Amino acid sequence: MIQRITGLSLCAFLASAMAPGLAVADNSDADAPELSYTTVLSDLKDPWDMAFLPDGTMFFTEKCHGLSVRLPSGDVNPLLGMEDTEDYATTADDLFCHGQAGMNGVAVDPDFDDNRYVYVYSASRITPLHKNRVIRLTVNDDFSDVSDRTDIVEDIPYKQTESDHPFGDAGAHNGGRIRFNPGDGYLYVTTGDNHDGEIPQHPTRLGGKVLRIDRDGNAASDNNPPDGFNQRIFTYGHRNVQGIAFHPDTHETFVAEHGPWHSDEVKVLENGGNAGWDPRPNVGGRGDCPDHYCGYMPDQMEGMDPEERRAFMPMTDTERFPDAIRPAWDNDKKSQGMSSAEFLTGSQWKGWEGKMVVGFLGIGFGDTPIGQRLDLLDIAEDRLSVDVTTMSVPMGPARFRSVVQGPDGDLYVAVDEGEIYQITPE
Amino acid sequence: MKRQMALIIGTALTLVMAQAQAEDISAGEAIYTQSCAHCHGGSGQGMGSFPSIAGQDADYIAKRLTQYRAGEKVGPNTPLMAPMATDLSDDDIADLAAYISTTFE
Ligand code: HEC
Repeated sequence: MIQRITGLSLCAFLASAMAPGLAVADNSDADAPELSYTTVLSDLKDPWDMAFLPDGTMFFTEKCHGLSVRLPSGDVNPLLGMEDTEDYATTADDLFCHGQAGMNGVAVDPDFDDNRYVYVYSASRITPLHKNRVIRLTVNDDFSDVSDRTDIVEDIPYKQTESDHPFGDAGAHNGGRIRFNPGDGYLYVTTGDNHDGEIPQHPTRLGGKVLRIDRDGNAASDNNPPDGFNQRIFTYGHRNVQGIAFHPDTHETFVAEHGPWHSDEVKVLENGGNAGWDPRPNVGGRGDCPDHYCGYMPDQMEGMDPEERRAFMPMTDTERFPDAIRPAWDNDKKSQGMSSAEFLTGSQWKGWEGKMVVGFLGIGFGDTPIGQRLDLLDIAEDRLSVDVTTMSVPMGPARFRSVVQGPDGDLYVAVDEGEIYQITPE
Repeated sequence: MKRQMALIIGTALTLVMAQAQAEDISAGEAIYTQSCAHCHGGSGQGMGSFPSIAGQDADYIAKRLTQYRAGEKVGPNTPLMAPMATDLSDDDIADLAAYISTTFE
């Protein structure tokens, strides 16, 4: 069999670690809520993200199909389709999917009632070098169509071709979550490093960054990146940020990002800060690397001790970048496909109120358990440590892609298997 | 007469071969559920960066698994798939191929 396991106790440990939603009844806080769930939508193809209006209207993306909306009545209207789709009110033939890229995040404008704006992040072939774009659309009155497409960001790098790396296909490390911060009203856009060693520390290429912009795509006026950097950059030195969430009281910005076969990280961002990821060859004691990217070294084809990997290719290099943003959590040095993040608010969540929920897709490379689960993080005041609880997910483990709290206070969860679930605390 | 003989031998041979290969679909299912479903999906539909393996015949599946087991590069994401095949026996591969090809459309 695949995993040769010796010893009963290790076996039991692995079993529980691999299927946490089922095996670990670890809603251990005394006042954890009881959870039930309903299936909101099924048979979707790679649902990627959701965004809500106060009345429960839910916009959602499917990576290779496009943007749709589910009305409170339960009816679904397909709005903006990508190439090769049918049945969408509007189709944009330049929008395409490949590998991890496609139509990713979706956000609604904080002033939606007045301007009817909704935003998506998508790969586009308008330019010969394909790019990711942040696209603003106007939704019509009866939610049956969108118009006035305006690409407010046109230059987020997209990985053009295959390279010699794990997940090495084109479209890799593509970022793609977009969220408005209720604290400052700006749109935050998370991007990825494209398996390109130069990108994360590069002052003007927008991959490996968190951008902070207004609804027209202009830099937030108080962004504070180093001299020579593109002003839209809020933070840099990221690998592949897939989750972003704002603290419900302080509005601090937290991100969740995939680790390089070690150390998925959750961290609070500092305006202008460097998150410390630099996979260039011939720096930090490393030599040449496959296709000029050291991100999976020293051994990119086989499992090895995450600790050893970390010493060789740190996710946050505090030696070279002493001021680097420190993670609050590194997933116990494991990489398990950390994806999306959200803070739970409201007393219905009982002991979990104010905690951050993070979803994991699960990977299972080398000896690392697959780890598909939803974790709850109680983040310390100093933002440098966390207490972790694993949710006993009522519908069982899956590739948890997106977690968003709805206006009803429930948690909505999209999984690659094709469902969007609603988790209700009792 | 000759023809009949050939037919009998042919049938016998087919029977023997079927016997020797007797793929165990439920054993294939057990491996699939435990080791493959979290990437390729419960019905082989593919998810995220992981390809669909539905609608393929058994020979194709078995050939691919054998390639991965041998450490051959197939597609750009070979390093993710290859470790999943290294410990598969010939029987495991036959069982998986039978399960996948007969169950997923
Ligand atoms: C860690 C995720 C993962 C797991 C677990 C996994 N696979 Fe795969 N599989 C992949 C990826 C990625 C590819 C594509 C690799 C490439 O680019 O060559 C693939 C490719 C394949 C292919 C070839 C598809 C084609 O059309 O070429 C088959 C068949 C397959 N896997 C079967 C299996 C079986 C059977 C198992 C369980 C023993 C399994 N996989 C477990 C990720 C996985």
